[in-house]
Amino acid sequence: MIRFGPLIVLAALLALWQAAGMAMRVETLPTPLAVLPELWALFASGEIWGDLRASLYRLAAGFVLALATGVPLGILCGRSAAVRGFVSPLLALFYPVPKAALIPILMLWLGAGDLSKITIIYLSVTLPIVYHGQQGAAAVEEKLVWSARAMGTGRAGVLLRIILPASLPELLLGVRVAIVIGLIVMISSEMIVRQNGLGYDIFNAMDMAQYRLTYAVIVVVAVLGFVLDATFERLRRRLTFWAPERQDQLPTGA
Amino acid sequence: MIRLDRVSKTYTRAGGGEPVRALSEISADIADGAFVTIVGPSGCGKSTLLYIVGGFVPASGGAVLVEGKPIAGPGPDRGPVFQEFALFPWKTVRQNIRFGLAEQNVPRAEADRRVDELLDLVHLRQYAALYPKELSGGMKQRVAIARTLAYRPRTLLMDEPFGALDAHTRAKLQDELLQIWERERKTVLFITHGVDEAVYLSDRILVMSAAPGAIKADIAVDLPRPRRREELLRHPRYQELVIEIGRMMDTTA
Amino acid sequence: MILRALRSCYSVLLLLAAWELFARSGMVPRTLLPPVSLVLQRTAIALATDTFVADLATTLFRLLAGLALAVGLGIALGVISAQTRAGRAIFEPLVRVLGPLPKIALFPVLLLTLGFDNTPRIVLVLIDAIFPVMLAAHYAARAVDEKLIWSARAAGTSPTGCVLRVILPAAMPQILTGIRVAAVIACVVVFLSEMVQPGDGLGDQMIRAARAFRSVDMFVPIVVISGLGFILDTLLALVRRRALGWAG
Ligand SMILES: Nc1ncnc2c1ncn2[C@@H]1O[C@H](COP(=O)(O)OP(=O)(O)OP(=O)(O)O)[C@@H](O)[C@H]1O
Ligand SMILES: [Mg+2]
Repeated sequence: MIRFGPLIVLAALLALWQAAGMAMRVETLPTPLAVLPELWALFASGEIWGDLRASLYRLAAGFVLALATGVPLGILCGRSAAVRGFVSPLLALFYPVPKAALIPILMLWLGAGDLSKITIIYLSVTLPIVYHGQQGAAAVEEKLVWSARAMGTGRAGVLLRIILPASLPELLLGVRVAIVIGLIVMISSEMIVRQNGLGYDIFNAMDMAQYRLTYAVIVVVAVLGFVLDATFERLRRRLTFWAPERQDQLPTGA
Repeated sequence: MIRLDRVSKTYTRAGGGEPVRALSEISADIADGAFVTIVGPSGCGKSTLLYIVGGFVPASGGAVLVEGKPIAGPGPDRGPVFQEFALFPWKTVRQNIRFGLAEQNVPRAEADRRVDELLDLVHLRQYAALYPKELSGGMKQRVAIARTLAYRPRTLLMDEPFGALDAHTRAKLQDELLQIWERERKTVLFITHGVDEAVYLSDRILVMSAAPGAIKADIAVDLPRPRRREELLRHPRYQELVIEIGRMMDTTA
Repeated sequence: MILRALRSCYSVLLLLAAWELFARSGMVPRTLLPPVSLVLQRTAIALATDTFVADLATTLFRLLAGLALAVGLGIALGVISAQTRAGRAIFEPLVRVLGPLPKIALFPVLLLTLGFDNTPRIVLVLIDAIFPVMLAAHYAARAVDEKLIWSARAAGTSPTGCVLRVILPAAMPQILTGIRVAAVIACVVVFLSEMVQPGDGLGDQMIRAARAFRSVDMFVPIVVISGLGFILDTLLALVRRRALGWAG
């Protein structure tokens, strides 16, 4: 029941959509059964792969950069009042900024290529990683650090072998939030710029009145979101099996 | 009168696993106005029994009858006082005590009068505007008792109400409770780990045995009332009872 | 007081100063990076211009309408679903499926089914902002100490009364935290919806500026919507502190 919960919910949502489509009988709300062949064609013709690859490449690149810089920065923030005093106000300043909306400005600076899109994902994804990294590192029990110091661990060793693993549960919650945010920023910046990628496909199909195609791409995006989140969630649980589970942390993103 | 008629309880656990037998066929009659205390080893089901009498947790077998009628859930005739205080943290002392009166639609002026009366009774007049987080443990417990007394339940269900307090505060609250009881003659069902507390307060002590809980002994406390601590401590019968029940507890644990 | 506040966010001042100096140094063309002072000056002018204020009002209306719906429905759904076993069983899988879905991807569906005016944007804000509120309400309602509920039930409170007068106030601290998150999400989403499908509103201002390469005017709507998010967040933090003095 617990494991199949999402599948049951999915089936129920599809049934709801089917019923709505059958009741409305309009071209702009096709039923899932009508969208299915379109979805099949999308993959069979290979049409979607290019855009899927383009989108995912940018997401992955932005993410790797964010992890490489955000994790150390977050941990330092959590352990040093000076670093925190510098970084926290900047985080607070950028928190309410609609990051995806910066894409036109970034394109002005970095050109219309991948660089501006990777940068936008990097910027938006770094924030939750730094924030949660800081929360995790700041909450590490001081006695743990003392014990390690007493056993002869150096400062760097403490950061790497005590603070990092101890803040991992909180940090990974941040990464989970970041995945959802990254996806949102990726899709919305593609919708704004309208060059390529899944976000572009959705609107392009709509503008050409290919409504079934619009829905097919949306389904692809939805599945992508679910698969990314569920895959990461399994990884997260495996990495932090020792930590008490916090159930109020389910995926949503700003 | 409250009658426990072969009350038993088995907890089934949500994730599967062995069900826990907490109580097996508990029967007892609790007379109106009696002060009855339940003692027994930790985990023997004392709280469970109290929750069932309160109507908060359903029994798996048997029934609880109040005046001959089986209970249907909680009701203002049986007022609980929990070990954890369970005060509403978003309400002041005054608002906490007033809660039950508002729920019973007692007119405003009358409710205010009753709250003032209770504030005096538990000596919390000058703390009426404070929030629970600003109170000490003993003060919180007094608020909890006043909140329950406010709606005048016929029976008080008290689950280790003084368990979390220091010895001095506990002794003071025991005396206050006895004074209230002498005056209002409510039925009290009281749970404690302290044998001396049980003997000092009660008319009757039910000793429970460990899992699944059952009543192992039913002891009448034949000590004079009103009770005064210094006199009682020297009373030979008091000492006998404490030793006797203490011994029973040792063998059940 | 003010001095202390300024010192506590010295890094922000440093950043703004660096931006100003860099922009004025002549190393980058003004069209790429206008100085902060110019952006702020232009923002002030915009806020005194009727057309801009009209767009601001449009955005604000959509934002607040969507947020209000998200708060109302989120609290109701979260708390009610926590009351029954079936509700609790459905809640988590539902959120696991719908949570990671980028709601903005549904925007075309909303446009197609609800028309091209305010409604689809309000609904988009609703379906995005409802999640933090609903999650907070649901899990906080589940975590309410059962003894609090029992105390009320014994005092004669009905089950519905318990939900309204015990569970809801007990869950309020977490719910307000959820609402704060939702408010910022709402600001972001309404702005994006106006950029993705322009027509009016602050997002439309941004798109028009971008198409005409008026770089200063591209910064202005961003400053305004971020400021709006900041103000909402601060106000809600204030409400939380005021109304929830009781929470430890
Ligand atoms: N909600 C529950 N679900 C499953 N088992 C429970 C539950 N509540 C209590 N139990 C089990 O029932 C038994 C009796 O518990 P109860 O709390 O009534 O004991 P108690 O006598 O009050 O103990 P203590 O003196 O420590 O307060 C214990 O074995 C306990 O583990
Ligand atoms: Mg107990």
